[in-house]
Amino acid sequence: MMIFSNFGGKAALNGKSTLHSEAVVIEREMASRGAGVGLEMEKMSVEQLRALKEQADLEFNLFQDSLNNIRTATARLEIASSALEDLSLRPQGKKMLVPLTASLYVPGTLDDAEKVLVDVGTGYFIEKTMVEGKEYCERKINLLKSNYDQLLEVATKKKSIADETGAILQAKLKQLAPIQ
Amino acid sequence: MGSTAALKELQRDLENKANDLSKLQKDIAKNHQVRKKYTIQLGENELALKELDLLNEDANVYKLIGPVLVKQDLAEANANVRKRIEYISAELKRLDATLQDLEEKQNSKKEAIFKVQQRIQSLQAGKGKA
Repeated sequence: MMIFSNFGGKAALNGKSTLHSEAVVIEREMASRGAGVGLEMEKMSVEQLRALKEQADLEFNLFQDSLNNIRTATARLEIASSALEDLSLRPQGKKMLVPLTASLYVPGTLDDAEKVLVDVGTGYFIEKTMVEGKEYCERKINLLKSNYDQLLEVATKKKSIADETGAILQAKLKQLAPIQ
Repeated sequence: MGSTAALKELQRDLENKANDLSKLQKDIAKNHQVRKKYTIQLGENELALKELDLLNEDANVYKLIGPVLVKQDLAEANANVRKRIEYISAELKRLDATLQDLEEKQNSKKEAIFKVQQRIQSLQAGKGKA
């Protein structure tokens, strides 16, 4: 029996939940700011514009971090999936080295590769067959991919807001400069 | 003379209100953090529940208790995860209500501060003229 850890899952979950909770927080902020972003920006002073741009940049960076996390998690899950694939091809009784710690391996023989233990989160492990295990990896990878796409959408929107704010800021500064 | 004392008092009032405001903002930030943590846990639990639901009756479920993997009954595991989800949802709702309350207080504090500032300004303007 082999154990397959949810290492990708937790990071991706953090990505997804962070996305969700951040999206909620941001919606609240925008609502409370009276989101007439396009209209009000013209009337705002340089200071406020600067603050708004910084805020938007900060949020965009957060999104970038989450995107990176999801990418990493997806990569690890794909490694897990291909490892599973490889494992299913090995015959029973095959000699192998079993990791006890990150630097300690002991020789052993492969027992039954038909059953795998899958970590599904919050401390629960489920015994599955090799086929189900592969399906599990597939499902998780698809979930992560859709999260990634959603997050990418929101991030690009945020970036365009930041850019717009920056442009208006520049225009304002130019307006003020000749007066001085 | 009277106006100087009034001015001092207004300024003290302003300080107090500013302190209250910053405390409120700290509370709001902490609320956000706790909310984040709970939201993440909720997501993880929901994923686990989905997996458990996909299982047949006879599949084995194990729970990690410390360093030990303990065999669990599928029904029991389901019930546990469901209960945890309920608990976390209730906590989140409670936090939501608290957050709204804090935000309202924050807004009214800001208004009060603004008013005090205005009074200070008008007093100072009055003194300047005199």
